[in-house]
Amino acid sequence: MKRVLIVDDAIFMRNMIREIFAAGGFEVVGEAANGLEAVEKFHELRPDFTTMDIVMPFQSGIEATREIVKADPSAVVIMCSALGQEALVREAIEAGASDFVVKPFQPEDVLSVVKKVVGES
Amino acid sequence: MNWDLSKYLALYVSESREHVDALSAGLVRLEQPDGVSQAPAGFADELFRHAHSLKGMAAAMQQDGIALLAHRAEDVLGAFRARGEVPGAEGIDLLLSVTDALGGMIQEAGAGGRPAASEELVARLGALQSSSVSTRPAPAIDEPAPPAAPEPPPGLRRIRVEVAVAEGSRAPSIRGFLVVKRLEGIGTIASSRPSGEELRAGRMPGRTLSVEVDTGEPIAEVERTLAQISELASVRVEEGGAAAAAPPPEPPLRSAPEPAAGTEPVRTVRVRAEMLDGFLDVAGELLLATSRLRELGKAMPEGLRRAHDEGVDRLQAITKDLHGRVMAARMTPLTALSDRLPRAARDLARRTGKQVEVVMTGSEIEVDRALLDEVSDPVLHLLRNAVDHGIETAAYRIAAGKRPTGRIEVSARRERDRVILEVSDDGQGMDAGALRRAAVARGAIAVEAAASLTDAEALLLCCLPGVSTSREVTDVSGRGVGMDAVRRSVESLSGTLSVESRRGEGTRFTLRLPLTVAMQPVLLVRVGSEVLAIPVSKVHGAAHARLETLERVDGTPQFVFGDGTVPVLDLGSLIGARGAPAGERRSVVVTDSESGRIGLAVDQLIGQQDAVLKPLHGPLALVPGLSAVTVLGNGRPVFVLDVHRLVAA
Repeated sequence: MKRVLIVDDAIFMRNMIREIFAAGGFEVVGEAANGLEAVEKFHELRPDFTTMDIVMPFQSGIEATREIVKADPSAVVIMCSALGQEALVREAIEAGASDFVVKPFQPEDVLSVVKKVVGES
Repeated sequence: MNWDLSKYLALYVSESREHVDALSAGLVRLEQPDGVSQAPAGFADELFRHAHSLKGMAAAMQQDGIALLAHRAEDVLGAFRARGEVPGAEGIDLLLSVTDALGGMIQEAGAGGRPAASEELVARLGALQSSSVSTRPAPAIDEPAPPAAPEPPPGLRRIRVEVAVAEGSRAPSIRGFLVVKRLEGIGTIASSRPSGEELRAGRMPGRTLSVEVDTGEPIAEVERTLAQISELASVRVEEGGAAAAAPPPEPPLRSAPEPAAGTEPVRTVRVRAEMLDGFLDVAGELLLATSRLRELGKAMPEGLRRAHDEGVDRLQAITKDLHGRVMAARMTPLTALSDRLPRAARDLARRTGKQVEVVMTGSEIEVDRALLDEVSDPVLHLLRNAVDHGIETAAYRIAAGKRPTGRIEVSARRERDRVILEVSDDGQGMDAGALRRAAVARGAIAVEAAASLTDAEALLLCCLPGVSTSREVTDVSGRGVGMDAVRRSVESLSGTLSVESRRGEGTRFTLRLPLTVAMQPVLLVRVGSEVLAIPVSKVHGAAHARLETLERVDGTPQFVFGDGTVPVLDLGSLIGARGAPAGERRSVVVTDSESGRIGLAVDQLIGQQDAVLKPLHGPLALVPGLSAVTVLGNGRPVFVLDVHRLVAA
């Protein structure tokens, strides 16, 4: 079962994403509420992939992605962006993000993106 | 998959509200005279982020109206942030109205609604944004004539990739950008159409992209790489090609990292308030069950009883510890209240044309969540009174030799098991003498009684309903309506209210409150076969009396208590229970009511005990005169009287 780390500053979004993955046959190994925590948890948990919110306190998802990918170039980070954040998403891709989903998303959207990037769970 | 959003609703609402409150508090802070210069660099980012979070969460909940309004607010904040500017008072007014509207809409969403965004607010935000920010047109991108791409370096082959992005994609140009980036990972881009520059600018006509990449990888590897990208309707990979121009690789966009705040994130788990209430209920039940066991032990033979009591002692100690821990988990910092204060003061100051600054201390102190809910309105009321009646106009203050800006201090501190909240202002103060006269004129108090009051007591006369609402007193004393409600709330929490004031120097209201409201000492009384509890904090005293021997005024027996008399009402008839027959010796409990002190005639005073109060639910909550329920050691449920509402009913 593929292991996922969920990063979002909203508990509500984390819950939602967690349920999507749980129902989609993935193992949610951890959650982080900001970029700093995300990097820390990434090193600790070594997930198969990470979903990353962009705008977060302490450290943005873009910075966190940059750090994660720098430490592990094979790391798979999928950005969760809101509409109207195109510039930030491009920046995240520059920083090494593997793919992105645009909020609001349907479970199928998220799962299909993830399955493309990391393969079936 | 079943996608039921409703289960996220409560969390969505509570989390969104926090952002609304933070946004509102931040906007007010932005406006403080020294707010801008003292605002940390990331302050604008913080405001922007709150609006952004509101938008994102609303969109996820398919609350398009909320998302739209939050989006517009985010745009405006983003525009100001980009220019390093701060909106003016008008702009802040508008943003605060928007924040309020968002709060209301979120509430509506919580009730199952899907509110639409106010068109007027959306339009005004648009106007604010365009008035404040010179919209810089996106630089026109000249399409250079495609120069011939140089031959691939030796050892590499040129592969041509044609990609169409799926219709449903909401960000096709980023998809295209991602394709280019992934191809860069396995080779060198020889040409791309649209160019990387255009993709960056969000342009991707026809949702198609054609790229030439020079790579040493086999075609299968290129195909595998592209297969990992979502939302591509078609992918064609073939060898060779001669198509578009290769723009020089652009430097990566400058990144804008979030400024790190000075605080470490706290590791917390969020639980629903109802769950904590449930824990408290269970812990309370355990305490009650324990005291019931103790009761049972009294009927045991001596030998057995000793072991039983030891067990019960141990159980009680553990249960008390558990109860204490649950209580501790319910503690909430006062910031939930203090964050609302500057906003309230600002609105009123702006309306009254006064200059006011609000300083808060001790907002990190934690109190029981239920207490926080109850005390918020009284404190806000005191604050409004301070702005409205305490603080003078700037001109008046200057003439009196004061700083033109009035200062209101709200402070909190702990003293053992109490929390002390103070609201003080440096305004004109209150006139104890005028309050005495006004109270006497209203018939609220006798002349002698008024004269015998200390100044501190006389100031509290502003809490008498007839006095505080009177226009004259408002003018003379500088205190407005609603002080009776403040005092009532404080007392219903088993707290006390006191006032100190000096003419011309200011006024200080002090609220002394318990840290928790869940456990209170009560006086148990019996009426007929009913046992009822009266909070001890409301009881002034009790005595035996024969009602028929008492003097009557308008048919109501008058009981001599202290220096005066109090009217005696029969508790049995108030609650519809059959009391003792006339002529029996009764007990009278003297307590506070809407109309001052009264005596409640009861059949028997049973005694005092600490009670775990549980709120009433369902139809019982609507019965006037009952405030809570507790369970006695013998398992019997007992209602706790809300004397104020009982007598008013």
